[in-house]
Amino acid sequence: MFRFRLYWTFTKKAFLRSAVYRFDVWSRLGSNLIFLLMWGSIWTALYAGREEAGGVSFESMLTYIVVSQFLTGVNGAGTPLWEIQEKVRTGDISLELMRPFDVPLRYLFADFGSVAFYILTALLPLYTVMFIFMDLTLPSAWETWALFIVSAFIGFLIRYCIEMSFGLLSFFLVETGGIVDVFYFAMSLLSGSVIPLWFFPGWLETMALYLPFQGIYYIPNAIFIGKITGEEILLSLGVQLFWAVSSYLLLRFVWNRASQKVVVQGG
Amino acid sequence: MSVVKYFDLYFKLISAGVRAQLQYRFAFVMRIVGLITSYTGTAVTMWIMLYQFQELGSWTFYEMLFLFAVAVLSWGFCIILFFHFRGLDTYILNGTFDRFLVRPINPFFHFMAMKFDVGAFGQFIFSIGIFIWVSFELQLDWTIGKSLFLLLSVVGGILIQGGLLVMISALAFWTTKSEQFYWVAMFPARNLTNYPLVIYPKAVQWFTAFVIPFGFVNYFPAAVLLEKETPFFPENIGYYSPLVGIVFFAIAYSIWMLGLKRYKSTGS
Repeated sequence: MFRFRLYWTFTKKAFLRSAVYRFDVWSRLGSNLIFLLMWGSIWTALYAGREEAGGVSFESMLTYIVVSQFLTGVNGAGTPLWEIQEKVRTGDISLELMRPFDVPLRYLFADFGSVAFYILTALLPLYTVMFIFMDLTLPSAWETWALFIVSAFIGFLIRYCIEMSFGLLSFFLVETGGIVDVFYFAMSLLSGSVIPLWFFPGWLETMALYLPFQGIYYIPNAIFIGKITGEEILLSLGVQLFWAVSSYLLLRFVWNRASQKVVVQGG
Repeated sequence: MSVVKYFDLYFKLISAGVRAQLQYRFAFVMRIVGLITSYTGTAVTMWIMLYQFQELGSWTFYEMLFLFAVAVLSWGFCIILFFHFRGLDTYILNGTFDRFLVRPINPFFHFMAMKFDVGAFGQFIFSIGIFIWVSFELQLDWTIGKSLFLLLSVVGGILIQGGLLVMISALAFWTTKSEQFYWVAMFPARNLTNYPLVIYPKAVQWFTAFVIPFGFVNYFPAAVLLEKETPFFPENIGYYSPLVGIVFFAIAYSIWMLGLKRYKSTGS
């Protein structure tokens, strides 16, 4: 039985907790802006005054990057990977195992709270201003907005499940450095967060299209700028749902194995 | 205590640290593999960008790799010498910083020699590999003068990035925060300099040349070595890189010492 109210409490608590750490919010926003400046400049220089490249106008490309950076902010506002790993390493995770709730769901709902706070107080005001003052293309139909939000939300779930699964590997391996770095590489490149998939060399694009990471940034971004339209949107959402379910099953599998294998380090 | 004795002591302290880290072989190898992976990831990202577009602000793929490798090489040394400075806040909050004050050596030196991160070998392997590859591709002629200049500008880069790490750690004396400043300011700023500065707005370029002189870590020296132009800046400004490093580090060191004077232990 799923006790929604229990988990909702975590969401509310996390929201309130974020309000206490104001400095965190501001500093995170600062670094998000520096990366936006970086990728915005890179794409401006790559287009080098051209109106369009690869069938995409410069304005749309810039919008793609801004939306992507917004979603990066959203996806980065939850519990960081190292915090989970630290809990495993110190053994604090055992306290969570004793309590009457499901740990992966508890963190997911807590993340909803902290992400909501970050969006409302920092990301949304800032990016609204940016959309007003910069030459960016906004979707005209409200349906596109709605589909974008749905797609971004599914992307968030995919990212959460995969990231958490990787975090839980520290149950099995004391040092996960190399594996985590491969994950972050896949997250930033194969997700299309900084380079859209249509600019990839053919073979790499095919590879990326068979992987779950495209569902995190590429699909929502492409829906937003109208690169994916009409029936294709439904197909893309279907692909995202497939990966959301698959990555959830992966998380369940890893979690079941992990919680049975609590290695006690030290005395 | 004389400089020679300090050198001797530094090597004694770090060799103990290295031996301790080598006890965990698997962790050691994984860390190096991880670092090389993530740098390769950035290089692959550059490759894909330039696969379609050929050049970025008149820099080609191999030139960008070279620029990137200069930054990675000096950052490798920086990790060994100064990276742990960002965690000064934890020492201050826990009260464990006091132990650096009660010994008959310079506290700055003591704190610096406390840790030696062997992960830096990842940076060395990556950047030297790139240097060899790019030298073949661009047919770079490594004369003695050029090699010496690369060496000196790497020293400059170490002092500039190390200086900023020292400044960030000094903030902990006033605010009891430092680690966070690293991740929100210096980490993104370092990422900016992986790409040629010419692509950024003029204000940003100016800032990274004269306020936080990251431009002297890799952009200006690489431009000299590859004989590329640096619009908005005097030609061959890269030759000043070692000097900028020394001045910037001296400023950072005085700020740190100033903070130290102000330091009052936490707790009762």
